[in-house]
Amino acid sequence: MKALWTTALAMVLLLGGCAQRPAEPTLYQQLGGKPRLAMVVENLMYRIADDPQLIGFFTHTNIDHFVASLEQQLCDLADGPCRYQGPPMDRAHQHMGIDNADFNRLVGHMEQALIDEGIPLGARNRLLRRLAPLHGEIMRYQTPPPTT
Amino acid sequence: MTTCRSVLPAWMLASVLLALCLISGPALAGSRLLATGGVSQIEGAAGGGLSPWGVLAGNASEGELAATAFASVAPLRDYRLTVGGVALNLHDRLELSLARQRLDLDTLGGRLEQQVAGAKLRLVGDLIYHPWGIWSLGVQHKQLEDGTLPLAVGATSTRGSDIYLSGSKLLLAAVAERNLLLNLTLRSTSANQGGLLGFGGDREGGRSLVAEGAAGMFLTRRWVVGAEYRQMPDNLSFAREDDWRSLYSAYFFSPHLSLTAAALDLGSIAGLERQRGGYLSIQFAF
Repeated sequence: MKALWTTALAMVLLLGGCAQRPAEPTLYQQLGGKPRLAMVVENLMYRIADDPQLIGFFTHTNIDHFVASLEQQLCDLADGPCRYQGPPMDRAHQHMGIDNADFNRLVGHMEQALIDEGIPLGARNRLLRRLAPLHGEIMRYQTPPPTT
Repeated sequence: MTTCRSVLPAWMLASVLLALCLISGPALAGSRLLATGGVSQIEGAAGGGLSPWGVLAGNASEGELAATAFASVAPLRDYRLTVGGVALNLHDRLELSLARQRLDLDTLGGRLEQQVAGAKLRLVGDLIYHPWGIWSLGVQHKQLEDGTLPLAVGATSTRGSDIYLSGSKLLLAAVAERNLLLNLTLRSTSANQGGLLGFGGDREGGRSLVAEGAAGMFLTRRWVVGAEYRQMPDNLSFAREDDWRSLYSAYFFSPHLSLTAAALDLGSIAGLERQRGGYLSIQFAF
């Protein structure tokens, strides 16, 4: 009888264990949610401000607006509780004269910001994987129209 | 005397690279991510250890220049391969390289030396951002120093050119959230043992189309481990030529310094079987 109870208890515990297994964390959770993403974006902004090759692209940018929009976009990309409501990437960057070197510099700063804020390698790789397709969109309308 | 003369172009290129480093300042030292230029393969091109890859040397991007210099040594059972070289990357579009190989025949006695001048043109794409990766077309012109031995064993020439098409792709967060590097190279060549045993032969005089493949996993952003395979032609009747294999581990201390170690299995070389051994390569990049 005692053995039966023990078995039943063990089964209940095992089943309960199964039912309570936490769901796979979203990338957003892996990245540390809203506060950590805000720190990443702030770190990135300082890096851009210190980069003479990139700062020029932000001369006419409302930085507060840009920061809020980027946070929203990263949250959306990482399956967080946000919807990116900014302009499409190709239109947002058109005719800015961005070349691959500028793009690579920004990705380098982004990676370093993620490292600085303690984002683990797996989450960094997953985020970069989702950001990578933006290259095609950002570079789509970079060639300025030929001057006659 | 012959040695001095053929070393000269290498030194000239090295001096030109150094001068470029000094005058171009900030334009040199690229913006591409760490490790996206690979390391230096044994013929001087950007690649793994054995094969050229689709990527171009160093971290240069559009409008930037990069230069690399490397030294490699591979002690095998009966031979020792030593290589040194330099490469220049112009705007991540064109790579020019120069390498010098020396194979010491520890068991047979003597040595074989050749110089490899290479050019690699990026046709299309990007290692990370293009869905199909980066594709490049390359040529390696090889010239043996002293062809007496290769000609004696059946080679038909002491110089030859390899032409290759190479594609590389980095798949982000592909396996266990780690980045996976894939590479495929197709090469048209008449070289025996990469050219160190001359070009063409009594068994097969013309060109062969061979395939080379590599895979690597970035365990961290600085450390990649993987394997390479390089198919070889079999032109000489006096000795069988086997495909080359390696298991490698490369560590990027910074954008300027990487160290690669590998275990090689080059099979049978000039009648001596099971040429296995180690491989160590250091690369400086600017």
